[in-house]
Amino acid sequence: MKQMQIIVLVKQVPDTTEVRLDPKTGNLIREGVKSIVNPDDRNAVEAAVSLKEKYGAKITVLSMGPPQAIDAVSEALGMGADKGILLSDRAFAGADTWATSGTLGKAIKKLGDFDLIIAGRQAIDGDTAQIGPQVAEYLDVTQATYVCGIDEVRPDAIVVKRRLEDGIERLELRLPALLTVVGELNRPRYPFVGRLLDACREKAPIEVWNAADLGFKTADVGLEGSLTHVVRTFSPKSKRQSEMLEGSARDAAASLIGKILNKKLLRETV
Amino acid sequence: MIRSNAEELLRSNIGRFVDSELIPKAQEIDARGEFPMEMFKKIGDMGVFGIRYPKNKGGSGGNTTLFCIICEEIARGLMSMGAITAMQCLMGTNFLFHYGTDEMRERYFLPAMKGEKVACFCLTEPEAGSDLGNVSTIARKTADGYVINGMKTWVTNGPVADFYTVLCQTDPEKKFRGLNFFFIPRQTPGVSVSKPFDLLGTRTTLISELAFSDVKIPHHHMLGAEGLGMDNLLSILSEIRTMTAALAVGLQRAALEDSIRYAHERAQFGKTIANYQLIQAKIANMAVNLEASRLMTYKAAKMIDNKIQCLKEASMAKYFATEGACKAGDEVTRIFGAYGYSMEYSAQRYYRDNRFLLYGGGTHEILQPNIAKWVGL
Ligand SMILES: Cc1cc2nc3c(=O)[nH]c(=O)nc-3n(C[C@H](O)[C@H](O)[C@H](O)COP(=O)(O)OP(=O)(O)OC[C@H]3O[C@@H](n4cnc5c(N)ncnc54)[C@H](O)[C@@H]3O)c2cc1C
Ligand SMILES: Cc1cc2nc3c(=O)[nH]c(=O)nc-3n(C[C@H](O)[C@H](O)[C@H](O)COP(=O)(O)OP(=O)(O)OC[C@H]3O[C@@H](n4cnc5c(N)ncnc54)[C@H](O)[C@@H]3O)c2cc1C
Repeated sequence: MKQMQIIVLVKQVPDTTEVRLDPKTGNLIREGVKSIVNPDDRNAVEAAVSLKEKYGAKITVLSMGPPQAIDAVSEALGMGADKGILLSDRAFAGADTWATSGTLGKAIKKLGDFDLIIAGRQAIDGDTAQIGPQVAEYLDVTQATYVCGIDEVRPDAIVVKRRLEDGIERLELRLPALLTVVGELNRPRYPFVGRLLDACREKAPIEVWNAADLGFKTADVGLEGSLTHVVRTFSPKSKRQSEMLEGSARDAAASLIGKILNKKLLRETV
Repeated sequence: MIRSNAEELLRSNIGRFVDSELIPKAQEIDARGEFPMEMFKKIGDMGVFGIRYPKNKGGSGGNTTLFCIICEEIARGLMSMGAITAMQCLMGTNFLFHYGTDEMRERYFLPAMKGEKVACFCLTEPEAGSDLGNVSTIARKTADGYVINGMKTWVTNGPVADFYTVLCQTDPEKKFRGLNFFFIPRQTPGVSVSKPFDLLGTRTTLISELAFSDVKIPHHHMLGAEGLGMDNLLSILSEIRTMTAALAVGLQRAALEDSIRYAHERAQFGKTIANYQLIQAKIANMAVNLEASRLMTYKAAKMIDNKIQCLKEASMAKYFATEGACKAGDEVTRIFGAYGYSMEYSAQRYYRDNRFLLYGGGTHEILQPNIAKWVGL
């Protein structure tokens, strides 16, 4: 069996669930917020490294993002990935999921043959869970989303478990295939210090590709290459009216029940 | 070329480990008062212990600055874990690494790097604390090696260590020139270990006495050229002091962060105590001490990395950062009110654990006259 080629998609995200949006552009404001590796993507790297330990594999991590996203790539190398590619170019900025998956897909084509692509299920900032499936479509490979277990890998197939709302589905996929994985799949290891430091050195096996390296024109990628544009972003306003009920506890309770019945929140059955 | 900054990346990753693995368990580990083997192994698995040693020799290829970052982060979570880590990275393995044979390195150093063997360092004796010239553990040279007799005390990790780096006197006439380090595996006949001491702080760092009675070791177990024991010790003294300063910075950070959080949470007289100027003054002083300690510590660390002589800077950093940690441990227990006196919160631990920093690497009564001398007194 030839060495398995695994590609892992890793996104750097702001370390907060309360992302602020730029009211003008509708884009995320990333300045001043600490960046981390998207949590599901750590599980994706861990899955790849466990497969490497079990079956032997070469792992390439691929990330699209601003220059500082190099840290996500370095961390993945620290965990055991062999090679890193950062797609970074001002032209990539403002990409929607279509442009993002197209850019990642083209980079994967440039990388050549692969057996398996592993992505996180969802990014905690963009939150769409679309990138994995869209990359699979772009490359025309089989896919399984919400993977919570990897049972077996054979030269031509992989057997995985999928987390569904009301159960677990076991699937056999023909390779090459793409998986998106969920947190329960594994417990990601911490980077090995020696590998982490090596990833920071000049001679580290990390390459940075821009739009031209992928043969893209500016209009193909980023904001310009996106099919969707954010017209406006806003936080839904929840209208809250509060009313204080006066009087004794008994009076207040009676008044409260009356109001609940009035609003038809409960039905009177007596 | 785009590359990650090693110092920042290491800090964020060790910090993440400390936040998610160590801090949630710190109180429990401290209360149990046993050697934290599970945590020790986890830290070993990450390759932390090899931070000062080159990659091609079983290390992780870091330097003193990176070592200090690790010490600071781990001490922020639990001082005793920081102390154990520092022992394993520096004093406990340094002489074995530099002066041991390949066979000794293979059997002891490499497993120690992975957290499979525990190291320790034995200088102090009942009659030789600050005054190391008074070390009286004797290593008598014979035809096939050395015979060692004597007693060591205050040995961090003593009860659990697999091998010892021991300072012995080979010829009392020669005084300092007679002091040499020896490598003694625990299994060697004639070695006995006392029960762990009952300690005020860092309660999970086990400390004991060691007694050597006609312990026979081969010649090549002398670590370093004969007569150079004290010189070799001096060669890592700046690093020991800087590392201790880094541990102190870690404790200050923990105390400050907890203080700020608590000051925002606790309300009295209708306002959170963060509103009171006397609380603000404490927080401000803690923050200023922390900032200054940090600058002094990493200045010394960088000097070591750049091979610049810095015993003065390292001693100043150890002194200042440790005093800062003692003040922080004091203030945090005041800001917490009665809860600072409760074993349920970490504040009490910062108060007890800061004392650990006072003794090793030179007491402040030893450092101060030296600093005075170095600045021209
Ligand atoms: C309709 C729409 C319009 C948008 N418009 C804009 C816009 O105008 N400007 C803007 O900045 N953003 C925009 N976004 C957000 C942006 O498209 C997403 O952040 C990005 O495409 C990734 O999607 P996601 O974060 O939802 O990732 P998900 O699909 O949730 O991520 C799943 C997995 O895919 C992989 N992955 C995702 N992104 C990357 C990456 N960059 N590199 C490597 N792997 C990755 C990871 O493995 C991740 O775990 C838009 C999104 C939508 C749905
Ligand atoms: C938690 C902990 C862990 C330790 N771990 C180790 C270890 O792993 N290995 C090891 O070898 N040792 C270890 N030690 C021992 C430590 O190195 C000694 O405590 C230290 O060297 C001081 O010696 P002493 O305690 O005997 O104090 P002493 O030297 O007896 O000092 C007593 C007091 O007198 C002061 N003093 C002494 N000499 C002078 C002077 N010339 N001028 C002014 N004042 C002076 C001191 O500052 C102190 O206040 C540890 C100690 C502690 C508390």
